[in-house]
Amino acid sequence: MQTINSILAIFYREYKITFRNFNDIFTILVFFLLGILIFVFSIGPNKEIFNYISIGIIWTLLLLSTNLSINKFYKNDFKDGNIILFYMSGLSFEVIVLIKLITMWVFFQLPFVIIIPIASLILDIDTEKILLNLYVFLIGSPILTSLASISGSMNLLNNRNFAISSIIIMILSIPLIIFSVGIVSATPELIEPQLNILIGILFLFLAITPWASAACIKISLRNI
Amino acid sequence: MLLVNNLSFARNDKEIFKDLDFSVGPKRIIHIAGRNGIGKTTLIKILANILIPKTGEIYWNGKNVKKNLRDFFKNSTLIMDIHTSKSELTVFENTIFWKRLFSSKIKQTELESIFKILSLNKNSKAGFLSKGEIKKLELCRLIIEQKKLWLLDEPYVGLDESSIKLINETFNNHIENEGMIIFSSNSQPQLKNMDTIHLENYANN
Repeated sequence: MQTINSILAIFYREYKITFRNFNDIFTILVFFLLGILIFVFSIGPNKEIFNYISIGIIWTLLLLSTNLSINKFYKNDFKDGNIILFYMSGLSFEVIVLIKLITMWVFFQLPFVIIIPIASLILDIDTEKILLNLYVFLIGSPILTSLASISGSMNLLNNRNFAISSIIIMILSIPLIIFSVGIVSATPELIEPQLNILIGILFLFLAITPWASAACIKISLRNI
Repeated sequence: MLLVNNLSFARNDKEIFKDLDFSVGPKRIIHIAGRNGIGKTTLIKILANILIPKTGEIYWNGKNVKKNLRDFFKNSTLIMDIHTSKSELTVFENTIFWKRLFSSKIKQTELESIFKILSLNKNSKAGFLSKGEIKKLELCRLIIEQKKLWLLDEPYVGLDESSIKLINETFNNHIENEGMIIFSSNSQPQLKNMDTIHLENYANN
């Protein structure tokens, strides 16, 4: 009972802090939309090219937007000792990571459900493909959050090289990008097997992220 | 009862202290003293099981802490030199969060009276507080968590005289209720039942 109370308390606090800092989310969404517009301006009004690459553009920018939220993951709570506080309240590091994963997915990935259709309209994608892409996004975005969690926890003690955390995300996200872009442009009979592979990747990352991130946080705590 | 046996700690192969033995029972206060950089904060962190010692064991009520971490955490409060209050939340929201996180049974009226005694405005954001006020807010956690063992790292930094008096009073009250306190500080507070550990005696030179 006490554990559930603590978990709910952390959820409530995360919700309050995120909404007091709402401009963080808003900035990331604006970054996403502006990135799409810059692609449009730089390639020019050629409808045929966009038919091929529009889904790829959306996923590339989703990946880049995820990079912007890495620092929000653990760094603040790590620096002001809140992770130690959570730990001393009886929660294991794995549970803390799971709580963070859920809050970060809800606050920093779910808003894209509204923005992706707008971006798709800018890129002139068919309605069917928009729906399929949203479906793929709902499976793929927890993977992005897991990657951000792993990368964020690996770089807790790294105060100098910001780029390396983005590079870790990009390398790990290659299979995700291949399949999520592939599904939307695949022929109908190939959609389902690829979706299954994507769901497999999702479960793989959901399984390893809590352990991996918890180990990284533990190592970081013992080296300051 | 906390028992520390043959504790030593090394960082990058450089030994910081060694052969540290002490125990703290109910109604006792331990004051860890020593010059800057001697390892006071490190020792407090080791006692709270955040850092791992190179050798030595810590026992809580006769059981090894490593195997009974939950039991130890249920009975101890750690106040660090960094401030865990969130600047986005108000004073009241911070305390309510701690209350829920540690499932404390403290009542709302008690919280309000604490704010009054510490002269904290409960509706002001923690980001707007001065350094001393943030330290006071942090020390509220001692009362909210209601644990037996208090581990404090530099509790007196940034506080004015009346607040220091108040803290000493709180310490006295706590040890009268069978509590135990371990704190590190550079000042020499006058408290009863206090033993001082000079870390210089254990440093490896």
